[in-house]
Order: sequence, then C-alpha cells, then structure tokens
Amino acid sequence: MDKDIVKEIFLLTFEIFKALCEIVWKKIKDLFSLIWDRFFGMADESKEQVTYQEWGVTGEDEWPSAPEAPSVKQEEPQQRIETKEVVYALQIPELPDAYGDNRIVLMVRDPEWLFTYWELRQDVIDSARNTLIPLAEGAKTILRVYDVTDIIFNGYNAHKYFDIEMTDGARSWYIHAGEPNRSFCVDIGFLAPDGTFRVLSRSNIVRTPRMGVSGIVDEEWMSIKELYEMVYVPMGHGISESVFERTRADWQEVLKEGVSSSESLGGLTISKK
Amino acid sequence: MEKGYLSLILHAHLPFVRHPEYREFLEEDWLFEAITETYIPLIDVFDKLIDEGIDFRITMSLTPPLISMLTDELLQSRYIRYIEKRIRLSEKEIERTKHQPEFNRLAQMYYKHFTNARYVYAEKYHRNIIHAFKKFQDMGNLEVITCGATHGYLPLMNNNVNAMRAQINVAVQHYEKHFGRKPRGIWLPECAYEPGADQLLKDAGIRFFITETHGILFASPRPKYGIYAPIYCPTGVAAFGRDMESSRQVWSSKEGYPGDFFYRDFYRDVGFDLDYDYIRPYLHGDGKRTNVGIKYYRITGKTDHKEPYSPERALDKAAEHAGNFMLNREKQIEHLASIMDRKPIVVAPYDAELFGHWWFEGPDWINFLFRKIAFDQKTISLITPMEYLEMYPVNQVSTPSLSSWGYKGYNEYWLNGSNDWIYRHLHKAAERMIELSQKFSDTNGNALKNRALNQAARELLLAQSSDWAFIMKTGTMVEYAVKRTKEHLFRFTRLYDDIRANNIDAAWLSDIEGKDNIFPDIDYHVYQ
Repeated sequence: MDKDIVKEIFLLTFEIFKALCEIVWKKIKDLFSLIWDRFFGMADESKEQVTYQEWGVTGEDEWPSAPEAPSVKQEEPQQRIETKEVVYALQIPELPDAYGDNRIVLMVRDPEWLFTYWELRQDVIDSARNTLIPLAEGAKTILRVYDVTDIIFNGYNAHKYFDIEMTDGARSWYIHAGEPNRSFCVDIGFLAPDGTFRVLSRSNIVRTPRMGVSGIVDEEWMSIKELYEMVYVPMGHGISESVFERTRADWQEVLKEGVSSSESLGGLTISKK
Repeated sequence: MEKGYLSLILHAHLPFVRHPEYREFLEEDWLFEAITETYIPLIDVFDKLIDEGIDFRITMSLTPPLISMLTDELLQSRYIRYIEKRIRLSEKEIERTKHQPEFNRLAQMYYKHFTNARYVYAEKYHRNIIHAFKKFQDMGNLEVITCGATHGYLPLMNNNVNAMRAQINVAVQHYEKHFGRKPRGIWLPECAYEPGADQLLKDAGIRFFITETHGILFASPRPKYGIYAPIYCPTGVAAFGRDMESSRQVWSSKEGYPGDFFYRDFYRDVGFDLDYDYIRPYLHGDGKRTNVGIKYYRITGKTDHKEPYSPERALDKAAEHAGNFMLNREKQIEHLASIMDRKPIVVAPYDAELFGHWWFEGPDWINFLFRKIAFDQKTISLITPMEYLEMYPVNQVSTPSLSSWGYKGYNEYWLNGSNDWIYRHLHKAAERMIELSQKFSDTNGNALKNRALNQAARELLLAQSSDWAFIMKTGTMVEYAVKRTKEHLFRFTRLYDDIRANNIDAAWLSDIEGKDNIFPDIDYHVYQ
C-alpha cells in the first residue's frame, strides 16, 4: 500500500519534472532560434527544419484538444479577410518627393478619362513668372488639354482645347476628356488675366480607346452582323438595339457588368463575393 | 466531325513572394495554398486522363514569378513544412471528430488530400511541379504560354517601349530555360492589350495572345467573325477574343456555377471556427487567425447557418454543371457554325486559382467536362489557339482596341486614387534603368558593377508587378503591396545612385540578391 503511494508520488514528481524540462528546453530553443535569426538573417534549410519541428511536433502535444464540434462563429466573410492583414514592424522606406525633373506625363484611364502627373522645377517656374510681369500676380496655374487627333502637334494647331484650373499643391489630376478614340496632349502652365499663356511643360500624346464597334469595314472581310449580336444578347442586359448602334452609355453598362472579373483577379488574395 | 472548337485557357499566376529574412511569412501561403488546392489537383486530373487514354487540350499561362517560386529551393522546402503541418492537423481533426461522423469523414477527406499533395509534390515530381506541366506539354495535351516577366501592366508603361520590351523578353528567356523551347503564346498581364505592343511580341517570336472581348469587338477594321475567330495584328501576331458567355457561366458571382449551394463554402475555415488554443499551433507566428485549408461546410444558402459539406452531392453537382456547360457550348457552336464559313473557336479563359482554391470542385468540373466532351457529343472539340492557327492560317488583319479584363474593361483598376501615386516612381525607375544600361553598357570586367546592374533590373521588374496596384485597389493586404512597391523602388534607387557613384556596397548587394533572387540569369542589357 505505502509502496504504491510512494510509487505514485515518484511517478507524479517525475512527470512534473519532465514537463518542466520540456518547458525549459522549449524556452532554450526559442532563445536559440531568436539569436540565430538575429545573427544569421538568411534562413537556410537546417533552420527550416528547426521551425517545423518546434511548431509541428513538440508544440502540438501541449495544446489541449477540444472534443466539441467546431464552434460556430458568426462573422461576416469580409471581416475574416481583414483579420488576415499583418502589421509590418519593418520600416517602409519613403520614396523621394521629386526627382528634380521638369515634366508632365499623360496616361489613359479609359475611353473618357485621362490621368496626368507632373513635377516642376523652381527655376522654370520663376522664369515663366518673370516673363509675365506685371501680370504674374493674377496668373493661374492651369492644365490646357488639346485634342491633337491625327495631326503633328506644334502647340498651335490643335483641333480644340479646354483649360482646367489647378488647386494649390496639386501634382496630379484626372481629366474628363470625354472622347473615345481621340488623341490628347496636355500643357501645364500659367494663364495670365489677359489670356497670355506660359507653358511650363508639355506632355506626351496619348490616344483614348474606342468605345464601340469600329465604323471602318474591310471590304474583303465583310463583318457578319449576327455574330456581333450573339456576343452580349444571351446575357439579358435588356439592350435590344443593334450592337452597331449602341451608345457609349450602353457599352459602359455592358462592360461594367460583363467584364468585371477583376474581383477575382487577385487569385488568392481577395474574395469573389 | 466537330463543328467548332472550345479553347479552355487557365491563367496561373501569383506575385513573387519569398522572404528568407523571416522564418515564415503569411503571404507565402498564397503559393502553398495554390499548390495544394489548385496546381496539384489539376495535375492529378491531367495525369489520370492521360493514364486512361482520354485525349484533351488545354492552354495554361504559367507566369515567370510563379515558375520562379515553384522552382525555388527555399520555397520548396517551406512547402514541405506547410503540407506536413496540414497533414498533422487533419490527423488531429480525425481524432477530434471521431464521434461526429459527418465531420469525421471530411477530416479523413482532407487527410487524403494533404497526404496525396505531399506525395505528388515531393515524390512523384520531386518538389518541382513544373516538370509535370512540361510533361503534359511534351505529350501535346497542354500548351504552356508565358506572360509578362513580373506581370507588369503594359498599357500603363506605354511611354517607355524599352520597359515593355524587357517585360516580354525576360519572360521569353525564362520560359525557354524551363521548357526547352520558345513560347508560342502569351497571356498579357491582366489581359491588357496596348496597341502596338504586338510588335514586341513579334520580335520575341510570339505567335498569339488573348484579349478581352471588346479588344476584338472594337478592333479596327471591324472583324468579320467577331470574337469567334482570331484576327492578325498588322504585325502578323494573332489575337483571340475572350467569349463572355462561357466566362460568365463560370465566373459570375450571381449565376456562376461556383456559387451552388452544394459546393464547399470557402469562408468557413477551421482556422477561424475552432477553439483558439487548439488551432494556435497551425497559425502563423503572430497568432492571427487565418485560413488553414480545412473547411467543413457547404455554401448552403444566403444564410449564416451552414450545413455540413457532402462530397458526393458536390461531385454530382460538378458533373451536372460540366454537362450544362458542354450543352451550352454545343448550342453556341451549332449556331455559330450555321452563320460562319469556317469552324468557330470559343475562347474561355479563367484564373487558374479559381479552380480548386475558390471553387473547390473546379478541378472535378474540368475532369467531367473533358470526359464528356470526349465521349458524350460530336459537336465540339477541344483545341489550343496555336492548333487553330495551324488549321486556319489566313485571318483578317485588324488592330485590337486597348482593353483589359479588369473592372470596366480598361485601365481604371490599376490607375485610380488608391494606386496612381506609384506611376511617377515606376516611370522614373524605368527611365533610369535604360540610362544605366546605356551608360554602363560595358562594365569592363567589373563583376560587382555587373551584378549591381542586373540586380537593378530585377528590382525594377519586381516593382512593376500589377499585383501591387491591384491589391491597393482591393483594400485587403494593402500594407504589404505598398511595402513591396516602395521596397523594390528603394532598392532600385540605391543601386542607381551607387552604380553611378561607383560606390557599390557588396554586402548589401549580396543581401538583396539573396532576397530578390528572381531571374538569376537576367542580363541588364535587355533594357538597352
């Protein structure tokens, strides 16, 4: 009887001792891997193994197993995705504000919208201002948007143009050109009250894409109307006119609804829902 | 004799995510999940079809970043660690659910999935599943096409033709190294076509690419056959248009197959559902709950109450949906063939990761579809775009319209208030890279400078991945995308300054070469 109790106590003590040892061993290993990380930043195969064992085998037995059915958490799917976000401890390097250039760059967003960004050098600004004296005070910074479709643009021969007044400190702008299948160029400059315009920088030329079926037909390859009709009709957009007569607004609707696979384009990164 | 063709195209891509500086890294799971849930199930489907002598054709783009990660030793060994952890979790789940038969059989299903993934990955293909895809290609069942070197969005770098050219040429060289021949086709990053970019494709020996529907529909002159036959760009490179109808049946969140109530619910993952202490060892170091890949419920309906998943019912559904898809294609092709004076081609491209990862039953659906097409009908045949071009070498010449498969069909998803700030830096870096490659065209045997120049090219390419702009727009994991953009641009800029000052920090260079080790054979002269 006494022997049993002694044995029991002995076994228990042994178990406690063993558990303590395991905890200490784990701590030492953690410390070791921490030191390892600090001094040997580049992971290698052997360290891969260390991590894996620590997480998979030793660690696992110490976690109590839950006998119940999966407990149901009523969360919105969206929230779950968000919890995946990780905060990066590492400092993100900041990019330069400017590169010392004097230029404006024009980009196409879609058939109706352009995007432009610019960077201006102080000496260019100053000399342009100087040429405007005494009107410099009242001069405004503007974007002048030229329609330069199918011409060699020399600054004066645009089909038409319009101006957009810039707000202070703006460095980029979305421009509603409103016209598919046309070419555009943008100047940034000072517009004096008397209409004098001083260009600070001129952009590259871009062309907006077509928003509709081309009117140009190749006689050798006469298009088959029925094939065009097939493309969207089965999808029930309620647009009954011929594809050739669809308006831009019709196409916008079609493209918005029909093409938006982008929600799942991230493959693994985001949800389709 | 068939009346027309179906060309199924899967675009397999993940951004280059590899962080040797951390012991483990949450975003590396994107690759591991895709291997387990998409690439291996697809390989299994293809292997089985071949074993049974069932002929099929499929086209897949495997992007250079994806190939780079799949052939990287560090990530390969980390995948083994990942899958073994999943195997142990599923073992534990079998034990935990032993008194709940409806969950227990699912736990066993996952155990089988994971152990099979480990077997196929480690033993059958010796950790390099590119070998599997190469095998299918060499057998004639699969056409592997390439993509931009780092999935750079071409229309938004169109002010710099050298930058666009490097995206194409680096990708082509990379493909050649892994597949032993040049790629014949390309999946333009984000399906985004920039008029004129076909010249670069032609120079690189590429014969065809795919555009979004309206890229062909709005082409000029007006294409005779709409999207049901390719057109030739003025350079002679062929463009195939995506068929909206077939895309929609699979993609649409409203009407698409993957939303069926009997299919597995993606969101109910035990990583979120189970007791925290129980699941903790299978989460990442920071202890945040994440998906661990074991999911017990079916979509059930628009409700929070979810029913347990039934693999048998789901498989029946996948077969039914494959039959429905085939029937629709038969009808579509019957009709097209009655109007056209040649056999029509229906091009159906999808993100590869849709199949298996999001849509768990997706690979089964492909399996059923291919078998049904082989045995149950005579109207359609599977084909690759290249085979179609060989059959119909004469095509109309027309210039496709600028287009992408992003929201609203143009550039907006990659150019909007959330991400437009990146372009002034990306454009500047591209310009500087060209300046470097011209100025230091000959490094006179200075190996260190040569290495720095090559690394500058890698950093620029990595910064150009369209994934970062995309993630910034989606609003999840934004911080990571911002960090990656800034980090690569920062590294590039420092290299640019150091190279010009002839003051290269060899230790730092080695460090970033070790981290951003994509394209080991890159030659910066590609920017000349």
